[in-house]
Amino acid sequence: MSLTTGLVAFTVVVATYFVAYNLSQFAMAGVAGRFLWRYRRRRNPRNLALVARLAAPPFVSIVVPAHNEALTIVDSIRALLALEYEAREIVVVNDGSKDDTLAILTQAFKLVEAPVAFVQPLKSAPLRGVYRSLVEPALIVIDKANGGSKSDAVNAGINAASGRLILVIDADTMLEPDALSRAAMPFLEHPDTVAVGGYVAIANGCRIEHGRVTDVAMPRSWLARFQIVEYMRNFLLFRVTCASGNGVTLISGAFGLFLRDALIDVGGYDGTAIGEDMDLTLRLQAYYRQRKRPIRIAHVPLPVCWTQAPEDWQSMRAQRCRWRRGLLQVLWRQRRMIGNPRYGIIGMGVLPYIAIFEGLGPLIELLGYIVTTVAFFLGLLDWQHWRVMLAASILFGAATTLVSVFLSDISTRKYLHPRDLALLVTSAILENAGYRQLNTWWGCVGTLQAMTGKTGWGPMKRKAF
Amino acid sequence: MNHVASTFESNALLLVGVALAFAVAMILAVVIERFAVAGHEAWLRRTTRHYTPLVRLALAGDPGARAALRRSPTWHRITIARMILIPLITDRDPARIADARELIDALPLMPFAAQLLRSPWWWRRAMALRALGAMQADGYTGPIVAALDDSNDDVRNTALDALADMHDPASLPAIVVRLHDASLHRARRGAALAAFGSACEPFLLDLAAVDTEHRLNYAMALGICGTTAARPILCEWSGDARAPVRAAAMAALSRIGVDRASVPFAIAALEDGDAAVRAMAAAALHGYADRDTAASLAGHLDDTWAVAVRAARSLQTMEAAGRAELEARATGAGLPALLARQMLWEAKASR
Repeated sequence: MSLTTGLVAFTVVVATYFVAYNLSQFAMAGVAGRFLWRYRRRRNPRNLALVARLAAPPFVSIVVPAHNEALTIVDSIRALLALEYEAREIVVVNDGSKDDTLAILTQAFKLVEAPVAFVQPLKSAPLRGVYRSLVEPALIVIDKANGGSKSDAVNAGINAASGRLILVIDADTMLEPDALSRAAMPFLEHPDTVAVGGYVAIANGCRIEHGRVTDVAMPRSWLARFQIVEYMRNFLLFRVTCASGNGVTLISGAFGLFLRDALIDVGGYDGTAIGEDMDLTLRLQAYYRQRKRPIRIAHVPLPVCWTQAPEDWQSMRAQRCRWRRGLLQVLWRQRRMIGNPRYGIIGMGVLPYIAIFEGLGPLIELLGYIVTTVAFFLGLLDWQHWRVMLAASILFGAATTLVSVFLSDISTRKYLHPRDLALLVTSAILENAGYRQLNTWWGCVGTLQAMTGKTGWGPMKRKAF
Repeated sequence: MNHVASTFESNALLLVGVALAFAVAMILAVVIERFAVAGHEAWLRRTTRHYTPLVRLALAGDPGARAALRRSPTWHRITIARMILIPLITDRDPARIADARELIDALPLMPFAAQLLRSPWWWRRAMALRALGAMQADGYTGPIVAALDDSNDDVRNTALDALADMHDPASLPAIVVRLHDASLHRARRGAALAAFGSACEPFLLDLAAVDTEHRLNYAMALGICGTTAARPILCEWSGDARAPVRAAAMAALSRIGVDRASVPFAIAALEDGDAAVRAMAAAALHGYADRDTAASLAGHLDDTWAVAVRAARSLQTMEAAGRAELEARATGAGLPALLARQMLWEAKASR
């Protein structure tokens, strides 16, 4: 086979892959659009009032792992205490913070060391003390040695939690006031529900007062803008489509509401998992489906919480490489589920899709860029062909992202200012010319790190709200 | 191979065209949708601003305001109806509901709601049901009960909400009969029973007497709306062969509260082989300040965690008898002692 023949064959393979990916994205847009439309129809004031009318709404324990969160923790807790959901307790886990997290909490909420008994079915690093608040009876603070992972801290919180439902969030997550009512609804409606995730929106650029987003606006940083449209695409296309077919494989670590018993059954979070949120979701799916027990993991397609996106390249790179390592690790760990009909839609649909388009995606995309560029410089590919490939890639990427911007606009309408809308549309187009390729590169770096056994979170710069 | 390459190139150009068309269509869709929604919202704001004082006056009985609302264009009527009805979701004051119903009747919007009930679109049927329920529309109980058998599950569940809002005793048998209908959301079935409260109890007791198969559901329902009259049957069910029924009976007793006659059943259930039954029995004994009962409960502080924690919580509510048992077990190490100390600390902190 000559070099030219090989090149053409490779190009056809890449093009087929590319067409299949984009067709799947447009198919998802149709499914997601229908799901969102129906969700919007069902979301009326009477439905939202259901939780308030229950004689005994499900008790929710909000578990907040905090490691060096002195900057934001008090505002976060105050916002949680102000949630429009009465049946809740807040379990803060101070995970061996080296800053003043515990001292600040003690001062703000008049904490005292108190006897609190609980069994510990999940393993975690040793506890150093348990504190109760003299002013907020719903607040419990667990002080423990650092266990080296968020999972360890969350497991300690789950042990101490007394609710039937456990909400796991990050310390810097800002919840919408009615987030808990919305997330609790699937549990009230379907007895098979074991977990509920939600749309995590990006708070950069928004006005934040007392740990709550009060005014939504686009950030100044292009990096944050690109992440906003990227989150829209992920949460409103892929996850909504998965949810519509009961095939959710990822409940974001920033917001996940779980049945406590289900978490205990699967052994809680795994401290050795890099992508602990996806690892847990897939273990839940595997555990229930293996035992032929009904399972439903729901997804709230509206923003339930807000989180900070990294705005510097170093943090961004660390985050993306970590996500990549986490994805590959979890795919490897759950490889028996891929293509296995025993796991239903997860085994036969969602996981093969993730393996092909997310697992292999960055590698095929990078290889495509490299081969076409090399072939172009060797004179094996003409300039016209190269341009056509690049244009198709950018335009299809922009079109799918614009679909998610459209879905976001009709379902949530958060960015009200025309300038913000213009920036959203611009970001959706520009994201495909540089940012997406950079993500591909980081995906490949992450793959290399996974193969060489690199662990850890890498540097993450944090800001106060 | 050249043929493949040329085919690919011509198709690639087509792809670019399609992608460009999609991208442009999406930008247009976003812009048009935004303009359309902005226009609609502006209209809604204007309309709401215009009718708010009129609706307020009309609800207060002002004939001039009512006449003005009656003269409003038909395409404003749904907005006006929303302004009247949405506050009723949270404000269930009977006088306010009656005023709203009278005003809706006067507009007249009732025939419109009846027409929507027959709509082929499920969301319109659901909207009509919500409206009829919110204003407790007389004479519509039959159609709403009929909607419990609608082909769409959202409509069926909305019908149940509407019946809970209607609060018409005539619908009670239909609601109680559907206690076992798994196509209706469990929480909604519970909320409907809670809305009627103890009025459901006689129906539940009558049905439970002849329908032993669904005893679990009846026990759970009595846990929502049962009164002291249900204690004897719940005590009887504490001896049912099915553990979930025994646990639900004890859970219902814990909500109703135990008396001298039912305490022995709860104490006997504390020794049940099923942990869930023991846990619910421990919860059922809360507030019953009796030294022997407290001693029985204290013996379960080292039981399975679900039982121990409920026993401790019940002891916390038993005044001196419970406090004495907790104090006796608070010294020493281990989970039961820590649990006892926690209960004592909480009682002290709450004072």
